[in-house]
Amino acid sequence: MASIRSWFGRRRFESALAEEIRAHLEQKVDDLVESGFSRAEAEARARREFGNVTSTQERSREVWQWRPLEDLLQDGRHTLRLMRRNPGFTAVAVLTLSLGIGANTALFSLLDSLLLRNLAVSHPEQLVRVGAHVPDDSSAGLSLPMLQQIDASQRVFSAMFAWWGDAVLNVEANGALSRSDVWAVTGNYYSELGATPEIGRLIAPQDAPLDSAAPARIAVLGYAFWESHYGGARDVIGKIVRIEGVPFTIVGVARNGFTGITPDLAAEVTVPITAEPLLFGESDVQKHLRRPDSLWLEAAGRLKPGITLERARAQLESIWPPIRESLAPQGKTPLELHQFRSLQLEIESGKKGGTLLRSLFLKPLYVLLAIAGVVLLVACVNLASLMLARAASRSYEMGVRVALGASRARLTRQMLTESLTFSMAGALGGLAFASWGSRALSSFLIRELFIVPVKLNLSSDWRILAFTAGTAILTAILFGWAPSWRASPADANRAIEQNTRTVARKTPQLGTALIVAQIALSLILLVCGGLFLRTLEKLHAVNPGFHAHGLLLLSLSPKPGGYKNIAWISYYRELNERISNLPGVTSAALIHGGPGQPIEWTEKVRIRGTASDGMRVDLAMMMPGTLRTLGIRLVRGRDFTWHDDDHSPRVAIVSEDLAAQLFPKADAIGQRLDITTEPEWQDVRVAGIVSSASLYDIRKPKTPTIYLTATQYGHYMGDPFLLIKTSVSPAALAGPLRRTVESLGREYVDRIKTIEQAIDRTVLQERLSALLSAFFAGLALLLAAIGLYGLMAYSVTRRSREIGIRMALGARQSSVQWMVLRETLLLALLGLGIGLPCAIACAHLIASMLYGVSSNDPLTLLFVSLLLLGVSALAGFLPARRAMRLDPIAALHYE
Amino acid sequence: MKNQPQRDLFPGALEMMILQTLKRQPLHGYALAQHIKTISDDLLQVEEGSLYPALQRMLKAGLVEANWGTSTTKRRVRIYKLTPDGAKHLKDEISSFERLLEGIRRVLSPARI
Repeated sequence: MASIRSWFGRRRFESALAEEIRAHLEQKVDDLVESGFSRAEAEARARREFGNVTSTQERSREVWQWRPLEDLLQDGRHTLRLMRRNPGFTAVAVLTLSLGIGANTALFSLLDSLLLRNLAVSHPEQLVRVGAHVPDDSSAGLSLPMLQQIDASQRVFSAMFAWWGDAVLNVEANGALSRSDVWAVTGNYYSELGATPEIGRLIAPQDAPLDSAAPARIAVLGYAFWESHYGGARDVIGKIVRIEGVPFTIVGVARNGFTGITPDLAAEVTVPITAEPLLFGESDVQKHLRRPDSLWLEAAGRLKPGITLERARAQLESIWPPIRESLAPQGKTPLELHQFRSLQLEIESGKKGGTLLRSLFLKPLYVLLAIAGVVLLVACVNLASLMLARAASRSYEMGVRVALGASRARLTRQMLTESLTFSMAGALGGLAFASWGSRALSSFLIRELFIVPVKLNLSSDWRILAFTAGTAILTAILFGWAPSWRASPADANRAIEQNTRTVARKTPQLGTALIVAQIALSLILLVCGGLFLRTLEKLHAVNPGFHAHGLLLLSLSPKPGGYKNIAWISYYRELNERISNLPGVTSAALIHGGPGQPIEWTEKVRIRGTASDGMRVDLAMMMPGTLRTLGIRLVRGRDFTWHDDDHSPRVAIVSEDLAAQLFPKADAIGQRLDITTEPEWQDVRVAGIVSSASLYDIRKPKTPTIYLTATQYGHYMGDPFLLIKTSVSPAALAGPLRRTVESLGREYVDRIKTIEQAIDRTVLQERLSALLSAFFAGLALLLAAIGLYGLMAYSVTRRSREIGIRMALGARQSSVQWMVLRETLLLALLGLGIGLPCAIACAHLIASMLYGVSSNDPLTLLFVSLLLLGVSALAGFLPARRAMRLDPIAALHYE
Repeated sequence: MKNQPQRDLFPGALEMMILQTLKRQPLHGYALAQHIKTISDDLLQVEEGSLYPALQRMLKAGLVEANWGTSTTKRRVRIYKLTPDGAKHLKDEISSFERLLEGIRRVLSPARI
């Protein structure tokens, strides 16, 4: 307390002590004079006997102070004064650091929310996912009888719960029909996750009794769904929502931000798990639920206190074989039984939940974080060289301070305080930049990937703050060490003398090394950015074998009961005709699998009658007119017609390369094929051969493809996509298209996108990598240019006397300019020489993420090197011009 | 270069002398220095300046208190006064010092060998 008071009363304390000491000395002098000394003698003696006044004051003050804090405050004040005095330098330094730290923090927060953050439920660390799967098959699930038997025999969980999730179904709410994310959950799902309702109540155990034949038809709405469909009205309780035409009564709304067992997907409508069969019109609910081999559930358990994941795994694996045996289904083929008996339990921690984003973007994010780290390194080196230049110009100040008794450690601490202050300011700016950046990035990714709105939790948690603070401190040490090392001259005299030396040395060596390092690092980033951009360019230039431009894709969904008593072929034929006749529509067709689908449909095809395993090819299921609409050329044979129905012989169309590979010598037309082992896909005749195309993944050109017509397979007809070739803008067509589809009374248009958008979405990872790495490379290049400019400008200032002498001795302006420019270019070339091998080595690491370019693509390397040289020349040009225009007289008179 | 505070016989001796001096009457810094000098007959080499950090330490510990006053030569000075805590501290210090002295005396006394 006393010491705090003394800080506030600091000035008063100083003056009081000074007054006291002065009085002491004056009295002593008076006394001595009285006893016969001369005044001068008396004063000298008084001071001698008193001792060092400054030291006395300092030691008196120290009694009240905590020294390190006092020093820190002093250094801080000093730094702030310096920052105010050089606003330009401060702005550049803080902005540089903000961008560098911000980019790292933004990427780290994305990684954090995808990878490190636990689910926002109570005690996520206790959650364990349990599922059965055939080894090597990634998707694991449980049937309801499996869940019940495991739950009955397990000793490690306090409870088990299950859900059936992430199905997009037709939901009619508040009079509007939409495709929504519907989940079905066990009665204890919400309570086990520790969820509470926003209004009303959540699904409870009594709502989903597993043995009852009459499930409760109730629904809980997600918060966002409630907001968007009911405007957040509180009287929504008791209203009816129809899922696939089946009415459910709304009993409550989940809280905002509740995403259940996934980190990023909030269920829009949740129903009891026992109601799931209702959605598919299955009348005998119990029969559906009891199927022992239908692994439709995802399940999790909550560990009892003190039980580890390993113990849980051991116990569950010990009870699994008898459960599996007791559930082995009747009346199955030996192959199917063998498959069932090979089911293994997969037991893993469920604390982080599962997410599609994680699996898709983890690798690009890691690479980008590494790139951002290098950008920060470049920023550090840049600042180090700027601070170094400043430190050199402050060597006089430092020398004086050493002469006055400041210790070397004290000066180093002062310099580190300076760099720390800068990096902390940068970290603050960086946090703001990161919070914007990570949000923008995630909304970009999510907008492109998900049908339903998804929100990642990107709020700052301790990990992000720790990451940012750690980065800032590391940064400060990185760019603070060099100047502080330089700024602590062992010999104060030399430092003071040095400043008055008339002809300065050449550009300082340490500064040169830093600039070269910076150029080399920038080159690495430029090469990576360049390769990613070239990849994207190559992907955009790919000819997929069909005309993507002007193609629209509409997903059609049935109205409730829309497919009842439907005559598929005549209905779609009429729809196709009506759409084709709309103004602006060049051509239209209906497809099932094909362009714009995220999942590649592949099957095995072999020549009928051969025992070979067959060859894996892409498969597209379509209706007549598709090939024309896609612009795929018919080479020989015929296209599908509406007369190809399930009474006529089954026909297929194959791509040229498929025909060439299967029938290298014979004519493919008329040949018979077997596709997989499906009975209805046997003995299919090749009716036509078309030009090759890559329908699904444009990264894979010339994929052997087989086309089938849905008109021959009734159960493939529903939920199609409408493919439209148009010459007008999609926006102008949307209204007429929707009206035409609905006019037939069976389906409605769910979503419209262009095929180009859909293709763009398939190269999302490449777009993300290219966008961000190009941005970072640009940033690094800018920093390198600033650094180079700063160094050369500083060098010209230092050498102005030398330059003045040269000019006075007759050096021409152009030769002075060239002297500076040559030095700049030499530095750039040195950086290039060191950077190129490093860049090639680094590019090798990202080779698997590239398309169409090799990691040591000479064109990219050449272009990037020239760019770097050009920018370096530009950065050197300004100081060179200043050197050229130096007035020799003024330069020599300076100082 | 650095000014080491001139240490007297043992740590705390200066404080003890100051407290003992102030026990008789409140004094300002200069008078205190003069008094200690005179009493000790210049046997103890004490830099006058080192009084002040010691006084600050004792102020902080609450052993003395200070008030502004006027000296006999009409100067504004800070006059230091012993507090009850200071008096108690002095008593403790003196008794422990005497015990220490007694111990040393016995060890050094030839009769005890």
